[in-house]
Amino acid sequence: MASEFIKIRRKMILFLVVLGPLGVIGLQAANFGLRYDWLTKVYKDNLWVGLIDNATMLAIPTLLIGLTILTSMIATIEHQTNAWKLTVALPVSKRTIYFSKVILSFLLLTLSCLLLFVGTIVLGITLKLGMDIPFLYLLKKSYFPFLAAMPLLSIQIWLSITIKNQAIPLTIGILGTILTLYGGSFPDWFPWKWPMLSNQWNEPLYFVVFGLITGIILTLLSMMDFNRKDVK
Amino acid sequence: MSEFIIETKKLTKKFGSTTVVNSIDLNVKKGEIFGFLGPNGAGKTTTIRMLLGLARPTSGSIRIFEKDIRKEKLAILRKIGSLVEYPSYYGHLTAYENLEAVRVLLNVPKSRIDEVLAIVRLTNDAKRPVKGFSLGMKQRLGIATALLGNPELLILDEPTNGLDPSGILEIRELIKSMPREHGITIVISSHLLSEIDQMATQVGIISKGDIIFQDSISKLREQANSTIEMTLDDPEGGWKMLLAKGYPVELLDDHLSFSLGTDPYVASIVRTLVQSGFSIYRVEEKKKSIEEIFMELTGKDGGLL
Repeated sequence: MASEFIKIRRKMILFLVVLGPLGVIGLQAANFGLRYDWLTKVYKDNLWVGLIDNATMLAIPTLLIGLTILTSMIATIEHQTNAWKLTVALPVSKRTIYFSKVILSFLLLTLSCLLLFVGTIVLGITLKLGMDIPFLYLLKKSYFPFLAAMPLLSIQIWLSITIKNQAIPLTIGILGTILTLYGGSFPDWFPWKWPMLSNQWNEPLYFVVFGLITGIILTLLSMMDFNRKDVK
Repeated sequence: MSEFIIETKKLTKKFGSTTVVNSIDLNVKKGEIFGFLGPNGAGKTTTIRMLLGLARPTSGSIRIFEKDIRKEKLAILRKIGSLVEYPSYYGHLTAYENLEAVRVLLNVPKSRIDEVLAIVRLTNDAKRPVKGFSLGMKQRLGIATALLGNPELLILDEPTNGLDPSGILEIRELIKSMPREHGITIVISSHLLSEIDQMATQVGIISKGDIIFQDSISKLREQANSTIEMTLDDPEGGWKMLLAKGYPVELLDDHLSFSLGTDPYVASIVRTLVQSGFSIYRVEEKKKSIEEIFMELTGKDGGLL
């Protein structure tokens, strides 16, 4: 695991992790900065919820694209010089190698979500929305989409690692993001709908639970697949 | 019971319907430099991949350090250092960081990094990103990585690929010194016979997935032993006469050929012929080079050397 952190040094990966939430916050800052009077009128009942909902709207596609690029970059590190054969020939099981890639992606994205969480608070305070911050609501809005996107994370990691040509996972990831944006018209079982968190029961938690369970199952399946395959 | 470090039994690998490695039995003893020789595409790399657990055998078994690779892969890999074909590295990291990334997984002290860098003489370039390295330097870094875990067995696949003569010489000396100094067993593959000839103590020759020769290098040289060819007025008559007297002689076109024995042995054949009234025109010693033997073993389509 520590080895994974050494490998991502001097790549743009950490920059990306920061850029995602920063971009979302930045755009919201512009949004609220320019239309402050109008937006504060629209959301006059609950200014914080207004800001958070706006930020989430942007954060979801950013998260999905970020996830796609991130997993691809992590896999590229190994693909580039075919370092898989080096890593796999070390006394570490293939399951561990795969799992550490998953954990690495998960941690980095968790960090992104944390930055989003903190960033939104900072922005809200700067916009003088008051100190009555709905922490729980914000926390849910920052992390629920990510947790509901766990199956997508599993799929992207699996694709990036098993397919050397990164154009394929990237394309699928970006298409998936677009699908998610139009998620409303899909049936509830469709994983690409889940990050939006809206379902017929009006209970976002269902999708979070589905997402986590499916994500874990898919990760285990793909880990088995990786374990079975020969290394080129 | 076995003193072998590597022992494979009926090791086979198929890709689809093509058999790349066909039921090979490799035996490598401790402290040997085992040269694994074969033309391109003969199955060397595939075999090595299987030894390292990178590829799964279709059938057959591999035992390394007397352990079954399927059951105790990690314990085995712990004691192996490897370099497979082109060196793998993380180009954006420095040589030192590359080694550090592997060191963390191997759990050896940090000081070992400086040691292996010194062995391959990269100490001065340790802080440079590897993408700026020459192929020779990358190759040496690959060897450093292989040595990092104090391996008891070193598996090198074509380690001198793409190196210039001085680089080859350097690596060769390095490899030769290792069994002596550290008691490491080495498996080294190459398609260049001269390479193996200069380093190995044991040789295995693989061609089209089959092991066609496996023994010490001196045995291979023995096969390369000279023959004596003799031209005389009546080769057929001489041949029959010599055979009747119990000398194993071959009749080739217009001359006789027999494998070189002791000097008195050769003299006795000549004497027998002369005393029986044959005129001997020429007695020549034909030396078969190790290359010719190799070509004979691997067949014509080897495309080596």
